[in-house]
Amino acid sequence: MTLAIFLVVVAALALLLIFRAALTRNLQISAKVSLAAQIQPIDVAAFRNLIDPGENAYLRHRLPASEFRSVQRERLRATACYVQTAGRNAAVLIRMGQNALMSNDVRTADAARQLVDNALLLRRNTTFVLFRIYVAMAWPNSGRIGAPLMQNPVLQDYERLNGTAMLLGRLQNPATPLRISATI
Amino acid sequence: MLQAHSFLWHYLWVAPNVVLLFLSFLLWKRGLREQFPVFFALALLTSLGHLAVYTADIAPMVSAENFWRTNWTSLVVEGLLKFALVAEIFAHAFGSYASVARLGKRLIRGVGVALVLAAALAAAYTPQDGLFGIVSGAHILERTIYLIAAGLLLFIFLFSRYFNLQLDRRTFGIALGLSVSACVHLATWAIMANGKVPNSVRHDLDFLNMGTYHLCVLIWFYYLLVPERMRKYPPMNPPPHPLAGVPSEEDLDALNQEMERLLHR
Repeated sequence: MTLAIFLVVVAALALLLIFRAALTRNLQISAKVSLAAQIQPIDVAAFRNLIDPGENAYLRHRLPASEFRSVQRERLRATACYVQTAGRNAAVLIRMGQNALMSNDVRTADAARQLVDNALLLRRNTTFVLFRIYVAMAWPNSGRIGAPLMQNPVLQDYERLNGTAMLLGRLQNPATPLRISATI
Repeated sequence: MLQAHSFLWHYLWVAPNVVLLFLSFLLWKRGLREQFPVFFALALLTSLGHLAVYTADIAPMVSAENFWRTNWTSLVVEGLLKFALVAEIFAHAFGSYASVARLGKRLIRGVGVALVLAAALAAAYTPQDGLFGIVSGAHILERTIYLIAAGLLLFIFLFSRYFNLQLDRRTFGIALGLSVSACVHLATWAIMANGKVPNSVRHDLDFLNMGTYHLCVLIWFYYLLVPERMRKYPPMNPPPHPLAGVPSEEDLDALNQEMERLLHR
């Protein structure tokens, strides 16, 4: 009977999760809140500085090992925050692109599809990057963390991004372009 | 009222299958058969299979053994079609997005293998219920099918939720109906396959199964045939341009370049 109870609990939990997903979908469809307002701009310059390998090498050279580990953990934590924001922004862009997919204009629909694909790629990559950041946080002093990143097969798909950049340009509204990056 | 061969029992066994048969006819008439070929096949064959099992149950000339053979055949066909339908739902949900389709396929295969192993383990540890092998085997097969189907459907819902991808209305309706059916049936068959369950409880669970199936058929009917309401905007506020507020090319490019750099580190 233990097995039966376990399966009943599993089924109930699965049903709850599915209902929650269904409810979220219906709420999102009926929501009047602008999706663009959900975008959180990212300071790309600060982000770039955080992940600069030269900056890491400089800190490693200048600081004692224990202090470097502590500083590096803080930097990785901040990097994770940026990456999480980028992932959330990607999720909003996916929804914006999906809304535009219903457009009657073929070019708009095509461009929207490209946007969705691009944003999905960004969302997926942020997941992988976050995983690597958390691994690096466990061993902040290790130089070996970077090596497997170089061989990541995910990057093969990433090359497609360059080609879609032109199409993405069509997606912007010249009147009120939304910024997902903040400049100082 | 909740007795075998009561009016409600006959209604719950026959009505949803007639409605499902009618739904498959409407799908064919409206040209939706090409869009959802597996669902069309499931609607047609499942309803016919259930009606055949019903006929075998009430016809006095059909022996108990032949009834269970008919039930087994219907069950196997239905099970295979359900897995094919999960694949169809997956293809509709993610097939057109190359960037996640491959990852999704890998993950769902992994989840599928894990679920098959879990179902095999559950079957191995199921205590004997004292019924004939052909009967208890059918119960275990039901539970196995629903365990795998529920797990795969849950994965599809969670995966699309993570990527904020919205399933189109019809795909969503099919997935929702199948999920409700899979989860409730998993729970009921988990109890029924375990033996030592009094007959009165078995009858109640039978009614719960039939009622859930009826509900699922109505969900499919609603989502497949009732058109979605168009969003209304006040006359002074025309609908926004579908691409209003979408970020600039430079923004996305810069972010993507940083992500790539981060992965290269």
